[in-house]
Amino acid sequence: MPDAQEAPYTQEELMNAEAEMTQLTMDSLKKYKMNNNVMFTKLSDATQAIAKRMVNWSHTNSLWPLQFGLACCAMELMDFGASRIDAERKGYLLFRGTPRQCDVMIVAGWVTKSMVPRIKRLYEQMAKPRYVVAYGECATSGGPWWESYNIIRGIDQVLPVDVYAVGCPPKPENLFGALMKLQEKVGGKSAGDKERSITENPRRAEDFRL
Amino acid sequence: MAIMRINVGPIHPSTHGVLRLVVDVDGDTIKDVEPHIGFLHRGVEKLMETRMYMQNPSYTEKLDYAAPMAWDDLYVASVEKALGVEVKEAAQYARVILLEYQRIASHLLWLGTFANDLGQMFTLFMWTFRERAAVLKYLEDMTGSRMFYVNLRLGGLSRELPPDFKDRGYKLADYLEPKIAEYTDMLDANDIFKERTKGVGKLNKADALAYGATGPVLRASGVEYDVRKNFPYYIYDKVKFTVPVESGGDAFSRYRIRFREMQESIKIIRQALDMMPGGSVAGQPIKLIGQQAKPDPVFMERELPRGNGIIYMVPDKQRPFRIALRSPAYINLSLLPMLCKGEKFADLFAILGSIDVVMAEIDK
Repeated sequence: MPDAQEAPYTQEELMNAEAEMTQLTMDSLKKYKMNNNVMFTKLSDATQAIAKRMVNWSHTNSLWPLQFGLACCAMELMDFGASRIDAERKGYLLFRGTPRQCDVMIVAGWVTKSMVPRIKRLYEQMAKPRYVVAYGECATSGGPWWESYNIIRGIDQVLPVDVYAVGCPPKPENLFGALMKLQEKVGGKSAGDKERSITENPRRAEDFRL
Repeated sequence: MAIMRINVGPIHPSTHGVLRLVVDVDGDTIKDVEPHIGFLHRGVEKLMETRMYMQNPSYTEKLDYAAPMAWDDLYVASVEKALGVEVKEAAQYARVILLEYQRIASHLLWLGTFANDLGQMFTLFMWTFRERAAVLKYLEDMTGSRMFYVNLRLGGLSRELPPDFKDRGYKLADYLEPKIAEYTDMLDANDIFKERTKGVGKLNKADALAYGATGPVLRASGVEYDVRKNFPYYIYDKVKFTVPVESGGDAFSRYRIRFREMQESIKIIRQALDMMPGGSVAGQPIKLIGQQAKPDPVFMERELPRGNGIIYMVPDKQRPFRIALRSPAYINLSLLPMLCKGEKFADLFAILGSIDVVMAEIDK
């Protein structure tokens, strides 16, 4: 995880970054089965590849969370949005009130059976690509309420979860770490950059009924 | 004009949780409000029957997540009554200091979100969270956890307090007092805030008593009732403090009550820190099979930040046989339809915010 205060780049690092960028562009061109020599490829293909990287990069640095708190963890979510953590410096710009403007849904709290259809509907209203963070024990596994008759044991039975933040409740710093992991994932630096569907989820209960 | 039915929630930035309101409006005037609750119901009372006595504090803490230690204290006190355990003297002082800081943290959280509801006064939200972070840091260093402390044990606290407990307690009180006073400049002299709250959601004395309202909502309607004063527990009879009472009964009065309660809490903390004796504060370690409870039912009440919380418990030997929780926020929420009738739709959230609901406590 990068430090909060990054040192100014040295000349060597800048050279390395440039080399890495060239390599990445070459790799993406290979992926699209194109000649390494950009001069002889179709211009549209090349722009497409570069544009995809551009879009990815901008996605990574501008993830807008949905203002959506369920239970205790929402307190820490508020702290995350307040001045101590200052989430804006990594692009978590604003907590938006409507799902249509959001990229990340942070499920903060236990999920009851009566909330499931509503959360599903919110998720469906979000524009693609969309990501889900399970924040806290309750959203991960049911937490202390796992025996209750009215609780879904983990939001991953309903939605495809990208990152889990563990704790009861996790500190706001922990959420920040989780969201930086999500950034890595969105930017394609770690596995699973494409959006998963619910059918790929191994923990999904097949006979789940409401 | 025809009556229109508007749905608010259950996921709405201003409902302070997952509360659904079905509002009937005639033009811009509210005719009726119907709160739908239960979106966080998980059966706490039933789950608590399946656990041993000292396993349950982690459930009671999650009832009111804005002030977790308050409910924890209420539960542990009722268990202490059932088992016949005396609380150590120094531990009583320590509990009062921590609980009053918890009350301040809860009121700060309420104030920030309330001002935010009233028209995006986000500055105050940032200010109150700055102060709340200082309080939570103190509580974290003293108890070991930032939000859910689970630091109360039978007869005391979970461990001895750090040596800088008193010094930092004084320092924090000195830090908070002028900061809280700053909010008056921001709110009492603010025309928008006054317009939005004065005369909004009027509750008269008779209705407040008839509905069973407690806490700041009751005191804002001119009734002087505070469990800390009327039925003192721990050391509240030894410290000097006044119970703030306002006569307006509107949202502004409820704000003033909570604001003055924070100042009173700081007074209580200073006195308790002065008077606190030395000695051990550690309670009994958790034993799953400990001493047996007396079979008599236990009634215990405490002044929580939201009002009068009550636990009625029928004890079994090692676990509660039946436990019933009286949530003050639940009773206060039942006032909402009456308070909103005839008000403008835009004032709905001013009224709801001034009641200060916590949905987990209401849904149980």
